[in-house]
Amino acid sequence: MKMIRAIVRPEKVDAVADALEAAGFVALTKLDVFGRGKQKGIRVGEMVYDSLSKTMLMIVVDDEKLEEAVTVIEDSARTGKVGDGKIFVTPVEEAYTIRTGARGL
Amino acid sequence: MKEVLAIIQMNKMEETKNALDVVGFPAFNAYKVQGRGKQRGLEIVYPSDLEEPQKGSVKFLPKRMISVVVEDEFVPAVVAVITKINRTGNIGDGRIFVIPIEESVRIRTGERGSEAVS
Repeated sequence: MKMIRAIVRPEKVDAVADALEAAGFVALTKLDVFGRGKQKGIRVGEMVYDSLSKTMLMIVVDDEKLEEAVTVIEDSARTGKVGDGKIFVTPVEEAYTIRTGARGL
Repeated sequence: MKEVLAIIQMNKMEETKNALDVVGFPAFNAYKVQGRGKQRGLEIVYPSDLEEPQKGSVKFLPKRMISVVVEDEFVPAVVAVITKINRTGNIGDGRIFVIPIEESVRIRTGERGSEAVS
């Protein structure tokens, strides 16, 4: 299994969630984060915004569905402008459902 | 080292914290998150019967996420404790993920590896 952590624009979260649902990835967790990329935040006139608010989506998928899920997120979160976000993939060794104690997704 | 990432119900946070403390894992990080499982959020049913149940009317539910980093041999214990405390048998009890961690550093002393998480 792999965990996809996608840091996307907050206004794009619903679009990404709907696209993921349409592609069969229903379950996800989101959290509000603050961060910056290699542009070191943004500057509007005199004001420098050091970190910008983003939303992190966490989705755990089976290895063979990884490419598909990443593609769906990429396509639905893209605006083509700076600040669209990043996607990170980390391995997940085990997953448990607390209600049943069953292993696996 | 492994990170045990548990997504649990908000009202189980205190109990989970206390139970982990008792078995010797007092250190953790907690996040407030929103999420949904394979039931696609919640369907609202009004107690009055005046309104139809609305499918998928709550898209995301508030949850707490706790992250406990422990040595490999303690992973089953942590998973067992979290499962035991959080299991109510209803949907929405949450998920536990186990993720490998390559390195950890205690910033105060500069200790690395297993010393940093002990």
